[in-house]
This record gives sequence, C-alpha cells and structure tokens, in this order.
Amino acid sequence: MVLFGKKDYLPLSIFAGIIIFFPIVTRNPYYISVLNLVGLNALVVVGLNLLIGYAGQISLGHAAFYAMGAYLSGILTTKFGFPSWPTIALAMLITGSVAYMIGVPSLKLKGHYLVMATLGFSLIVYVFLGQLVWLTGGPSGLGGIPSLKLLDFDFNSDFRMYYLIWFFCFLAILCSLNLVRNRVGRALRAIHGSEIAANASGVDTKRYKVKVFVLSAVFASFAGSLYAHYINFVSPDSFTFIYSVQVVTMVIVGGMGSIWGSLFGASILTILNQLLHAVKEYNIISFGAILVFVLMFFPEGIVFGLANLYKKHKKFFYQLKPSLQTNPPLAIAINLNRRTPFADPPLCLRQSNYKTILKLHKLQKSFGGLMAVNDVSLDFKNGDISAIIGPNGAGKTTILNIISGIYKPNSGKVYLQEHDISSFKPFLIAKLGITRTFQNVKIFKNMTVLENVMVGFHPKTNSEFISCLLNLPKVEREGKFVLEVAYKALEFTDLANKRNAMSSSLPYGEQKRLEIARALAIDPKVILLDEPAAGLNAIETEEISRLIVKIRDRGVSVILVEHNMDVVMGIADKVIVLNYGEKIAEGNPKDIQEDNRVIKAYLGE
Amino acid sequence: MLSSQRFQCEKEFELTLFDLILQFVISGLSVGSTYALIAIGFNAVYNATGVVNFAQCIFIMLGGMLGITFHSFLKLPLMVSVLLSVMSVTFIGALIGRGILRISKSQQVVILIFITIGISVSVEGIALLLWGPFPIALPSFSGENPLFISGAVISPQNLWIYGVTFVVVVSLYYFFKRTIVGKAMRAAAVNRKGAYLVGINVERMVMLSFALSGGLGAVAGVIIAPITTSSYDVGTIVGLKGFAAAILGGYGNMFGAVIGGLLLGLLESIGAGLISSTYKNVIAFFILLIILFFKPTGILGRREAETVYEETI
Repeated sequence: MVLFGKKDYLPLSIFAGIIIFFPIVTRNPYYISVLNLVGLNALVVVGLNLLIGYAGQISLGHAAFYAMGAYLSGILTTKFGFPSWPTIALAMLITGSVAYMIGVPSLKLKGHYLVMATLGFSLIVYVFLGQLVWLTGGPSGLGGIPSLKLLDFDFNSDFRMYYLIWFFCFLAILCSLNLVRNRVGRALRAIHGSEIAANASGVDTKRYKVKVFVLSAVFASFAGSLYAHYINFVSPDSFTFIYSVQVVTMVIVGGMGSIWGSLFGASILTILNQLLHAVKEYNIISFGAILVFVLMFFPEGIVFGLANLYKKHKKFFYQLKPSLQTNPPLAIAINLNRRTPFADPPLCLRQSNYKTILKLHKLQKSFGGLMAVNDVSLDFKNGDISAIIGPNGAGKTTILNIISGIYKPNSGKVYLQEHDISSFKPFLIAKLGITRTFQNVKIFKNMTVLENVMVGFHPKTNSEFISCLLNLPKVEREGKFVLEVAYKALEFTDLANKRNAMSSSLPYGEQKRLEIARALAIDPKVILLDEPAAGLNAIETEEISRLIVKIRDRGVSVILVEHNMDVVMGIADKVIVLNYGEKIAEGNPKDIQEDNRVIKAYLGE
Repeated sequence: MLSSQRFQCEKEFELTLFDLILQFVISGLSVGSTYALIAIGFNAVYNATGVVNFAQCIFIMLGGMLGITFHSFLKLPLMVSVLLSVMSVTFIGALIGRGILRISKSQQVVILIFITIGISVSVEGIALLLWGPFPIALPSFSGENPLFISGAVISPQNLWIYGVTFVVVVSLYYFFKRTIVGKAMRAAAVNRKGAYLVGINVERMVMLSFALSGGLGAVAGVIIAPITTSSYDVGTIVGLKGFAAAILGGYGNMFGAVIGGLLLGLLESIGAGLISSTYKNVIAFFILLIILFFKPTGILGRREAETVYEETI
C-alpha cells in the first residue's frame, strides 16, 4: 500500500470512522437494519463492479449466486447441522465452482453471451428453489437459520450484525481497491479497453475474465450467507431476476469502475428500495427507469457524471490551471539508479547465438476462397530491421497476425529461434518475446499513458488475484519495478513528460509512439510494427524512423510493415516484397528498388 | 399412485408411444416456430449493432398483451387486434432503436445492452401495473375444433402458427435477398463503414432492425398467446429461449435461427414430455450452455477465422 495505496488511506479511515460512530450517533434500530441491507448489497455490488466496470462483462445472474450463498448456508446449518463459519466458506467454494462452469463457455467468445447465460442460470435456480420443497422449503421459505457466533459472542441483534457486516464490507472495499490498483486491475481495464491489444500485450484475457467473474460470484455468495444468518430466514422471493437488476443498477448509478461509487450506489438505491418496498410495480418501474436514465445521460455514473457536468459549465475554472491533467510533476518518486531490464546493455549480446531469430516455413492462410498468404517462407535475421512491403491486400498484415498468434495458419510453421510457436495464443507469444503494434492504433483509451506501458510489462510479472487482493509485499515491490520499467520505456520513446495524461488525449503521432513503448516494455526479442508511419506528417515520420533505428540498436529485431517508401528504403536492412500472398522478391533496399518484378507489381506492366 | 394414474390415462385415451411423440412434435414445432421468429429478431439487431437486445423480451409480451387488450377490452375484431398489436410493437421497436439508443451519450455496446435491460424491466413493471399479475388468454384465431392425426391432436391455432411463421420467414428471405432495403441492411451489418461510404443510411438500418425485431417479437407473442396465455412476465423466459435458439443455430445467422428455433422447440417439448414439465425451462438452458461449451458457433455459425478477422479490423 506504499505505492498506490496512499491515495486510499484518507477515504478508508474516514469510512472506518463513519462505520464505527454511526450507530452511536443514531440508535434507531430501523436505520441500523436498513444499513445492514446496504452493507450486504454493497458486498454484492463491489464484486459485480469488478466484473462490469473493470472487465466490461454483464451478469444478470448475481441474484442466483446470492441465493446460493444464502440457501447453502441455510440448508447445511439447519438440516445437516454444519458449523456456520466453515459452511460459509464451503458455500463460497461451491458458488465459485458453479460460476466457473458457467463462465468458461460463455466467456470463450467475444460478444455478450454471459448476460444470457447468467440470466438463464438464475431462472433455473429460482425454479429449483421453488420446486425442491423437501430441501429448500419451497415458496414458503426456509426458517430457523441460526445466527452467527464467534467464540461465545452471538451476532443475534441488528447492532451486533451491523458491525460484522460492515467489517466485511470494509475488507471487501479495501481488497477491491488493492486489486484494481495493481497488476490484475490494470490487466482487467486493458481488457475493457481493447481485448485484442490486451491479449497481444501478454494478458491471458479469457482466464482473467473467468477469474473476475468467479470472484464476483464468490463475493455475492458470501453476502448471501451473511444475509441468511442475519435474517434467519430465506425464501425464493428475495432472489428474483429483479434483484439482479437492482444490483446492476447500483453499479451503474455508482459508476462503472468506481469502487467507492459502488458503495454510494448501493446506499441510495437500497434506501429507495426500502421506501418503495410496499408497491412492487413502482419498485420495478423505478429501477428500470433509473437504469435507463443514468445510462443515457450519465454513463460514467451519477457522481462522476455530475462532476463532469460541473467541469463542462465551469470552463474558466479550468483555464486557470490548464496543466491540471497533462503534465503534473511525477506523482511517485522513481528511483532511476536501479538496474531495470530496460537499463541493461543492448541485448544483441544475449541473442548473438542466433543468426535467425524468426523463421516462417511455408505459411498458408486463406479467408473463404481468398488466399491471403500462399506458401510464404521467410527468415528474419537477428538484430535487423526487416521491412515487408507490397500493394494493398498482399498479405502483409496477415503475416503479422499469424506471427503474433491472432490468426492460426492453415498450414506451415512459425519458429522463434528454434521453437515452433505456430499454435500458441497471442498472450503466450508476447510472453516469449514477440510484441506488436496495430495498424489502427489500439491503445487502452481508458488508461493513462504510464498505465498503458505498465500493461505492456504484464507477461514479465506474476502477482495474481489473491496476492493483489491482499496487496502482499511482493505485489508492492513488483509494482514499483514495473513503474520504473514503464517510465524508462516512455523516456525511450520521448513520452515521459506525458506519463500521467489519459492516453486518449494524446495526438495521433504520440499515440503511435505510446503503442511502441507498450510493446517495448518487456524488451522483446522481436517487435512487429504494423504501418507505424501511416497517417503521420513529415516531422513525425522522421521521428518514428529514428525511433525504429534506436530500437534496432538496442538489439531488438524489428519486423516492419510499411507503405512509406522513404521510411522503408531509409532504415531497412532487408526488404521483403509480397504480392497476392506470395513472396516476389527479397533483398537489400537498393536491389529491391531495381527489381523488375517489384516495379511491375507496383506500377503495373 | 403415480403409476396407476398414468395407467388410467393411457387406458382412457389409448395413446401409443408413437402418438405421444407425434403430439410432442406438433406442440414442439409450434413453440419452436415462435422461438425461430424471436431468434431472427435477436439476430437482426445483433448484426446491425452488436447489441444483445434485451428489449426483445418485452416485444413478445407486448405483442400478446396488446392483442388481448385490443380484442377483449376495446372489442375490436380479432384479426384487426392482432394486426394492430404487431404494428404498435413494430413502432415501439423503431422508437427504441431510433430514439433512446441514439440519444444515449455513450455508444459503447455494454452501455447499450444495459439500456435495453432497463427498458425491458420498466416496461414489465408498467405492464404489471396495467394488466395485473394474472395470465390472460386470447381466443384462438379460428375456433377450437381440433383435427386428429392418428392419435394426436392438432388445434387450428397450431396450423395458424405454422402458416404465419412460414409466410414471415419466406417474406423475410425475399426481403433480404431481393429488395434494395434488405440488401442495404445486410450490407450495413457486414461492414458499417463501407455501407456509409456507398451512401447507405446506417442509422436508419439500425432503426429498421429494431422495428423488425419488434414486429417479429410481437408476431411470436400474439400467435402463441391463444395456446400459452400471456402475462406481464412471459417475455423474459420466452425471450431467453429465443436467444438460446439463436445461439443453437449460429448467432447472427438468419437461416440458422429458424433451424435453431424449431430444433429447440422439439427438444424442449419431447424432453419435457418424457422427463417432467416442471423442469421444462431447465432443458432450454442446459442446451444453451452445452452449445456454448462445445460448439459456440452453433450449427450454422460463421467459421471462426472470419469472426476473428472482423475483430481485428
């Protein structure tokens, strides 16, 4: 918490203070019981926000996970005499496994299958809760659930339960803040920003989505167990589809991707729910209407939405401090003396054993009937800038997509040094040291410049969900280290002074350099640049050329796809010409310029 | 006790297993037809916008409920009520596509999906307020005198469902393949930017796709209402099954939607008949999960390479 956590100390301690002193100020038991419900909902909502706000996935099944926690705790303690605390853990385990089984198939593809799969699941759970009367008590519910005990202390009143619920709520918020500020949180936000770019930067996107889904289900299950032990009674009516919509609305109103916002959303909407409790119709309508209204006009949530509205109408206020966003002094002291990977001497030494760094063997790839790449074999020399050129549709980008694992070739192999990598997923290929940029820039627009580059270092670090949630010392050390690396990569690409700006606010040329910085962060063996100079003006093109040469001089082999012949002929060590998916020439720039077939391909007969 | 009851049943109607299966096929095909229509509606919006249109659920409910309202409360002739209901829901669909989703400040797919969820929930609430919690029925389109095929019963409404679905699917096929607007819709679905560049009004196509999905949902809701009755919350479950049908056939594939719908209806009907009708809804959901697990592209889905290709562009 030394590195990022500083920001959280103040709000967390204020929060703890409010929790502790609120019941002392107001001794009204009704308020306390409402607050208990707020706390339970907040537990669900914080977990759900990790899924919705960070990974960009929608679940309409959290009522079912909440129900599973409540019913498992209720049934196992009343009917089978299980001890309550271990049962809560067991319920979390079971719910997590079920979520895993739903998550794996529905998160496999792009698109929003999860929303329907979870909705279906929650309808099924609801059917079972009503039908399995011998087990669940059916529609009339299950009573007599014992209250929780800790040693001899019985949590049998609203007040006692209040402190227990809010203690866990505090923990959940603390852990979630840890998670989102660390490696895992950055990876999740990157997935939200651009799934393909995250994958190509070394994030195992599918696994992360499943994990965060399971985590959010476990949060809900835990809240459900607490609910069962608090109310001492559960019935299917508390876990309808409407509950799922309510928690989703709380996330939206609080702001997707804002942990504190979730607490806010849970508070005001739980209170609203209590006020409208008597009239079911108005309750449903109001939640739906709030959801639609907030999304249409304040998609960033009520708090941020109002803040932005204020900013918009107070322009002069911002003119006074124009540098607020763009160039603040470096917030965190970076110790530049430490040896980071990026400070190592150029890597040619390390890789000099290999003459050929990357080898393509008889690659073939077709789309429908179109042969995009036809029987192409290429050797890329270690430490070279190799440029692939050719008319539009010649298969240049397809080759980059095959090397980086986004496409699987129909036949043929890709060898990195001597390892066959043709069947690997993009994130694994990044981990092995081949990173890339994209033709149409794919930076993570929802993150700052520095954070973008930090995601680039993802494959070289290894703190996962549990250690990030607990913010172990290891995570902290790693975070510091990643920060240094990212800073140096930004210095290398001349972006260090923009490090705290939102990446979306950069001009196009700088966005392209940022993408290169992100790809460079792990000091790859090979970097694939897809049209780095496209859309740049003369000065920016000049800068990019120099940057590419600088990258080569570090010892990184560069594979460049580019249409700008000044760039290609000026810096490439070797040029490969493709036409209609086939290699038609290969050689140094001078020979290529004089090659008849090349001239023919470009200029026609 | 249970077995003796069944024995009595069998004796009374003298049903053979064949008749039983035939009966399940008849009802499965008619429910399946509605799933097919709903699945086409899901696909139309998905292709045009990438959005899982949750509001599809209320189109189904409104189709049935408005039909009943026009007929039973406003005393309009049955066919007029049905047509009016379909037209109004089509209009509501267009309104959602053109108005609400376009005014939205953010055009992120996740946000748009949430908006459709919100609309669906509030409309359900309003329906509960207007029509109350109890199911209401629409009279059959042409009487109740059933036909008998072997030992199985086929009601005139079943024939109506087959006929209407057939006509709708054939005219949709004609619309998408032959008319300029249909071709423009397909073009906008395949490549938005390209469609803009050749002068197609993509936003109008989005609106049309919502109108289409509204109309299809309403047709499905109103033709099945005489058999299953309609209530304020009928849309969610039927809509979910229509979605499962779309996945089963291959998400985004119109022809797949028809096959997926019919197949799901058959599986569900036979499964519910042979196992237990209490867990009828469970069957459709398990099929959804199994398809997602083993063949996420569905029966007629696009090949994987092509979907990846779209992503990268």
